[in-house]
Amino acid sequence: MSAELKIENLRKQFSVGRPAIDDGSFRIEAGEIVVLLGPSGCGKTTTLRCVAGLEHPTDGRISIGHDIVSDPARKLLVPPRLRNVGMVFQSYAVWPHMTVAQNVAYPLKQRKVSSADIESKVAEVLEVVGLGEYAKRPVVSLSGGQMQRVALARSLVYKPQLLLLDEPLSNLDAKLRLRLRDDLRRIIKQTDVTALYVTHDQAEAVVLGDRIGVMRDGKLLQMASSVDLYNRPSDLFVANFTGASNTLGGKVIERNGDYGKVQAPSGQTLTAWMPPSVKAGEAVKIAVRPENVQLGVDATSVPNRFAAKVAAQHYQGVQTIYELSALGGKLEALELGTHPRYADGADVDIVIPPSLCWAFPADEKAVIE
Amino acid sequence: MAADTTALASTIGAAGTEAEGVRRERWRTIGRMVWSTLLLLILTFLVVYPVAMLLLGALTNTNPVVDGFGAFHLSLKNFTTVLENPNVHLALFNSMVACGGGTALAVLIGLTFSWIVVRTDTPFKGFISAVSMIPLFVPPLVAAVAWSILASPKSGLINTFLKWFDIDWRFDVYTMGGLIVIFGIYYAPYVYMFTASALRNMDPSLEEAAEISGASATKTLFTITFPLIAPAIISGTLLSFVVMLGIYGIPAVLGTPGDVPVLTTYIFKLTNWSPPLYSTAASVAIILMIVTGFLVWLQQRVISAKSYITVAGKAFRPGVTRLGHWRYFTLGLAVIYLFVVVILPTLAIVVAAFRKFLFIRNVASLFDMKQYSLIHFERLFENPLAMRSIWNTMEVGVVTALVGGVFAFAIGYTVNRTNLGGRKVIDVIATIPVAIPGLVIGVAYLWAWIGLPGGLYGTIWILALAFIARFMPDTIKALSTSLLQIHRELEEAAWICGKGMLGTIRTIVLPLARPGVISAMTLLFILAIRELGSSLFLYTSNTMVMAVLLLDYYEGGNVGITAAFSLVQTILLAVLIGVANLMSRGGAGDGIKQAN
Repeated sequence: MSAELKIENLRKQFSVGRPAIDDGSFRIEAGEIVVLLGPSGCGKTTTLRCVAGLEHPTDGRISIGHDIVSDPARKLLVPPRLRNVGMVFQSYAVWPHMTVAQNVAYPLKQRKVSSADIESKVAEVLEVVGLGEYAKRPVVSLSGGQMQRVALARSLVYKPQLLLLDEPLSNLDAKLRLRLRDDLRRIIKQTDVTALYVTHDQAEAVVLGDRIGVMRDGKLLQMASSVDLYNRPSDLFVANFTGASNTLGGKVIERNGDYGKVQAPSGQTLTAWMPPSVKAGEAVKIAVRPENVQLGVDATSVPNRFAAKVAAQHYQGVQTIYELSALGGKLEALELGTHPRYADGADVDIVIPPSLCWAFPADEKAVIE
Repeated sequence: MAADTTALASTIGAAGTEAEGVRRERWRTIGRMVWSTLLLLILTFLVVYPVAMLLLGALTNTNPVVDGFGAFHLSLKNFTTVLENPNVHLALFNSMVACGGGTALAVLIGLTFSWIVVRTDTPFKGFISAVSMIPLFVPPLVAAVAWSILASPKSGLINTFLKWFDIDWRFDVYTMGGLIVIFGIYYAPYVYMFTASALRNMDPSLEEAAEISGASATKTLFTITFPLIAPAIISGTLLSFVVMLGIYGIPAVLGTPGDVPVLTTYIFKLTNWSPPLYSTAASVAIILMIVTGFLVWLQQRVISAKSYITVAGKAFRPGVTRLGHWRYFTLGLAVIYLFVVVILPTLAIVVAAFRKFLFIRNVASLFDMKQYSLIHFERLFENPLAMRSIWNTMEVGVVTALVGGVFAFAIGYTVNRTNLGGRKVIDVIATIPVAIPGLVIGVAYLWAWIGLPGGLYGTIWILALAFIARFMPDTIKALSTSLLQIHRELEEAAWICGKGMLGTIRTIVLPLARPGVISAMTLLFILAIRELGSSLFLYTSNTMVMAVLLLDYYEGGNVGITAAFSLVQTILLAVLIGVANLMSRGGAGDGIKQAN
């Protein structure tokens, strides 16, 4: 019963400030999980609430399956209760004056389901979320993670066309978050429901989403599979936000297809991937993930091989972060393993694979300046 | 702390220092014991002794004035005789009906307005929110006087208007129905306060989840919203019931002419009998105290029970229902309420105070300036008692505020900030008056002091002490809030710097808590000058206070002077509350809301 979600030119303007959503368009296939990722205030939650019907868009069209549920131009607005969507809230929003079973049965009661059916459906969905034995418990006696499972069961019990999840894990402690994160994806896939998931946590987005959409200031910057997002970010913000924390200034010397030669502050040149808009002679910022800076590689004929010096070493137990002086700037490199290989002040050769080293136009706004 | 000091001294190895440390510690222990004992003694004097005397009074059949002080013939029979008295049954029954009906109306009004203010897009919500709280600042006695001028069956202004237009319907506020309506409209703010803040603090996603689940707005209101704020509704309901039960002014003004006795008016009547039936009054007061105590206990349990209001991870604004054109209807409700509780009564008092004769023949006569004069004010102040009552009231107010404020600070600090032995007992005793209506405190103080020759009775001090005892829980609560805001580490830092306990209080705690202390004292001052219930039993002609004199004028039947005096008192109170608010930046006003 899952349906596709289509959003066309969505705009939401609150009474003050810039638009919360600025001309957003995307599609989610039936049965697909899409995650909206971005810093707070980027408009991801507002987008979700517009889909739910809890927020009224200023402009644009939202369709769930074959039905248009919101189109201000035609004065069309379907109320939340008739959209047949499920929603899981950040604050769980389980009703504290009811038991687990009563919470889960509530949507079925609104749909005039017979009480025998209610009982079997509630039991079934509680089994799915792993709370089979808790049905009769008052919901306030549960832990945060269990409450969120109740909320999930409540939003799945009536087999909605679309499931909306608004930062469902961010109120949980770290350990629980990891477990529930994996369970969430399994349960959503098992029930075969289309899902739109909102989070500011990139690790969560990667694990949960079939595709990830990165938002900033009300705009959807890129929507892609996580592998694409991590290896071909469309701009500096996406690269930074997904973890490419190293940025170096530079200037494009020449361009060959998707790659080009860039002059680093030290005068050395390196080969980098660059988006089509970047031209020879342009000032750029080079972004590299610390994980992609390879240390002490023996082979001599690899491209982008440079001498570096360890300025500081931060041992973190299972990994070590090196602050390196290289290419006339600072670079961070991360190496897994419990045994740090280089001490402060050591000389080391580094290799930055050209396909994992991206040159973006220098005037683009980054997260970390 | 002390153990650390001793340990430090011994590591230094100076035997002399060690001995001195032990000696100082012994003195400190004695000092702590003296302090706890002192507080307990004062509390005994203020609370325990009067309440004990009230109990004894209920179990005796002697009169402390006639038979002398220690002559008790204790017997449970005296109390059971009172329990069988049909007049007591009637008063108890009337109290329950009036307060029950009044509470039901108050819940209806309070809940409606809190929903309108917090959850709808009604225009001018700030205005409506303010209007919903105004009745708290209207002295109940003045409100009742105003409504008797408006809706007494024969000469009420509303009824006069109805006659002009040949409408054959008359209002009669001197009935059980009248009492219920006046109770309901003036005590609705108690319900409003609780429910509005509960609604405001409720995570809106709880309601959104219901909407997503397929429930309609009305269904959500009744299956989710109201059940969730049930503790607030129950708590506001119980509180407004308790306040109505203990109030004297309104039933005295409205219930006496129509012969609707309630517990409070009945108790006062007993002490005005000739000879006064002090022991019967004590017994009925005990009944009133038990009912009140039970309800207060119930309310505290509801409040302290696990709250349903869950705290969400992010700040939220409550979801707002779009009412469309209905929002002008809800605004209209607020305007009507303002009209009924404030504008109409004020107009009535003003007209009655300045008009020579209250009888108004027709519309032209209403605006005929020749009918108006200052004669009632002149006659009011011709009576030396009027000025004296105002001075007495101010004097009692100042004494209550200063002495009560200092004492409450001592208790608040001891209970919240020290680990002295006995502080739990101190806390419990200081909280007892919460469950004692003002009028019962009056009767208790009467029993405690009237028979003692050369004692407090007949001085303004007995009034002040009764007020201090009566409002102690409210004062301590107001002070504790500001004490708890001072982080403990601020004090500890001063100790580490070498300041002693008293020095720390003087140089750190008092300066930081000063706004709280000042606002608690102004609150106490305002509560004291408008108190009627406990004054009734404790004044003499030398210590007459404003509220009592106003009631005297009303019962004397002179509407003009009563209205004039009401106006004087209302303006005086308004000015004082205004000044107090300026001094404490709103603290006193908030306090009145809590303490009423």
